[in-house]
Amino acid sequence: MAELVGVFAASHGPVIVRDWDKLTPEIQASLNAAFEETGRRLSAVRADLVIVISPDHWVNFFMNNLPAICIGVGEEHAGPPEPFMKPYPYMDSMRGDPAFAAHVVETAMSRDFEPSISHHLVLDHGFCLPLWKMKLDRLPLILPIAINDLEPPMMSVRRCLQWGRLLREAIAGYPGDLRVAILATGGLSHSIGEHTMGQVDEAFDQRCIAALRAGDDATVIHQLEDGLASTGNGAQEARNWVIAHGAAASKGFDLIAYLPTPEVYVGCAFAEWKL
Amino acid sequence: MRDYWLSRFFFEMQQPAVRERYAADPQGVMDGYRIKPEVQTAIRANDVGALSALTNPYLLRFYFGYVGMPEAEFLSRIRATGPGKTAAEVVHG
Repeated sequence: MAELVGVFAASHGPVIVRDWDKLTPEIQASLNAAFEETGRRLSAVRADLVIVISPDHWVNFFMNNLPAICIGVGEEHAGPPEPFMKPYPYMDSMRGDPAFAAHVVETAMSRDFEPSISHHLVLDHGFCLPLWKMKLDRLPLILPIAINDLEPPMMSVRRCLQWGRLLREAIAGYPGDLRVAILATGGLSHSIGEHTMGQVDEAFDQRCIAALRAGDDATVIHQLEDGLASTGNGAQEARNWVIAHGAAASKGFDLIAYLPTPEVYVGCAFAEWKL
Repeated sequence: MRDYWLSRFFFEMQQPAVRERYAADPQGVMDGYRIKPEVQTAIRANDVGALSALTNPYLLRFYFGYVGMPEAEFLSRIRATGPGKTAAEVVHG
């Protein structure tokens, strides 16, 4: 039977790679330490497959067809197209697990969840930047799940929590021998292309962290539904953290690092949930 | 509010081939997207404020990055669209 062996989250701000050389040595060191500690923990759970939950940053989807959630069910996934991601080390080696992906989709449909599916997703920096910066021992198989965190309307925070529970159920119900980890990427607060661009909302981030750490679902939903309406648009990616939270059965998490870093426009955060 | 054709133009400017065509013939490319004349005027003027009201903020950011607007200039212009600005300041941000 499959087993959920780890649930993690990490920020993915593109400036971390794009303008790396412009960052101070202190910022570089703190970001490297946070990514690498998260990567060390992810490597330690010896996952065969990692479910990576990220927004699609206008790479696969446009306003013609904009799914709230899309599961990548293909045998392989394409690497990031952004020019600054060109040195990504797994550009041609991101493999999927179609059998497990089909099981997740079938489990979802049987529980009245209706995801979109893609047999060939292009994974942008949101998926790939953390996998790169974490310096994993080896890259597991990847089940990508793209969440619409960019363009309204978006899934409710409550529904994100339910999706997390669904993933937990799907993993537990998979008959294959598979060690599965989850990595939610993005957030916490940031603002892109808005008048608040460059501002990090530390108060929002701390409320978010406290709610997820405490594990009370009602508080998580309230804090986020309330807070997301009044902070920068990039914070919508905290929805991905809520999916991870739901998958981990809301048992709270160990905050690996919180690095409010206006130089990369992001309240960077890294966490491992209790299982 | 979302202007579909402006947004589609910004979306497809992520493709190197579209950027090359735009660099060589901006008017021809904009005409191909059925972009309204007043919106084309805002594009030609690099009017971040006016365009910000018509598209997704990420697409706006991508576009001005691809056409080479310096980061500091984009930040200055987008921040000028914030609360407390007059309508004229926003439109001509």
